[in-house]
Amino acid sequence: MSAPFPSDLLVILRHGSHGTNWLREGLDAALVAAAFGRGVSLLFMGEGVTALLRDQQVGPLGQKGTSATLEMLAMYDIETLLVEEAALERFGLTAADLMLPVRLLSAEAIAAQPGAHRLVLTF
Amino acid sequence: MLLHILNRSPATSRVYQQALVSMAPEDRLLLIEDGVQGALPQLVRYFDGLQGRLFALREDLVARGLEGRCEASVQVVDVDGFVALTEEAERTVSWY
Amino acid sequence: MATTAIARVVEVEGERIGLDPEGYLVDLADWSPAVAFALAEEEGLSLTDEHWEVIEVLRSFYDRFEMAPAMRPLVKAVGQALGPEKGRSIHLMRLFPGSPAKVAARLAGLPKPTHCL
Repeated sequence: MSAPFPSDLLVILRHGSHGTNWLREGLDAALVAAAFGRGVSLLFMGEGVTALLRDQQVGPLGQKGTSATLEMLAMYDIETLLVEEAALERFGLTAADLMLPVRLLSAEAIAAQPGAHRLVLTF
Repeated sequence: MLLHILNRSPATSRVYQQALVSMAPEDRLLLIEDGVQGALPQLVRYFDGLQGRLFALREDLVARGLEGRCEASVQVVDVDGFVALTEEAERTVSWY
Repeated sequence: MATTAIARVVEVEGERIGLDPEGYLVDLADWSPAVAFALAEEEGLSLTDEHWEVIEVLRSFYDRFEMAPAMRPLVKAVGQALGPEKGRSIHLMRLFPGSPAKVAARLAGLPKPTHCL
């Protein structure tokens, strides 16, 4: 059976920028896969939705943020950015607060994502 | 069918919610490490709707003194059972 | 990531420029066109206008995204900036033989690209 995968890899990002390295690690994995020609989708869940907020800055000690990396995703042809709509609402945010165009997913739509990708990595 | 693996307790971490929302109707959930606390009768309610698809790893239950305290609907598997679940699934997805 | 350890130095116009073990600048602020010429010479390349326009693309990529691109995004960035004829890997292979993303990043004074082998 040739399953029609929309893309090879689903990277689930569950952490915001700063605080921990999880977001950066997840983005790195996505970029490496994309650099090797893999189709990559990103799914921002839970706190991960805050990674996409506009107007992020370097940290108080000058730590690099992740906005520049997020802006770079399009250059790696990573353009499927999925966002857990309920998580966005929990943070009192809307898609207009985010720095990149995204597709909002209902709980039902999220449940279909892991099965639709050849590989799933959670960060 | 995918096998989702959760290693955090529903009593202390909301990661279980992310696992639940990401599971398709036929997917299975295996509780390991501190995740096995979710097999206790008082905590298993967090996994409502997973009847028949909820598993807990025996070795981690034993280590925590929780074997024998599990809700009957939770299927307890040993490491061989873990391997079998993995083989039956198309892929595994880890939640931690 | 640029390392802080200087493995060797090249002398450019009387300045001693520190390079890491793989030949990338240790201090990215050391870069100048003269440094690019010196590094190109080590690669056996003589820089033409076609090289320079790619170097410019790389430097603005780094300004904007804070990372050196792997090959695919480099091809895309060159295509966007210089047109589809030049946004092809064969063009970059011809200008920067071997591993264009790495060689061109080195000459452009960028750190080693993070997301390629």
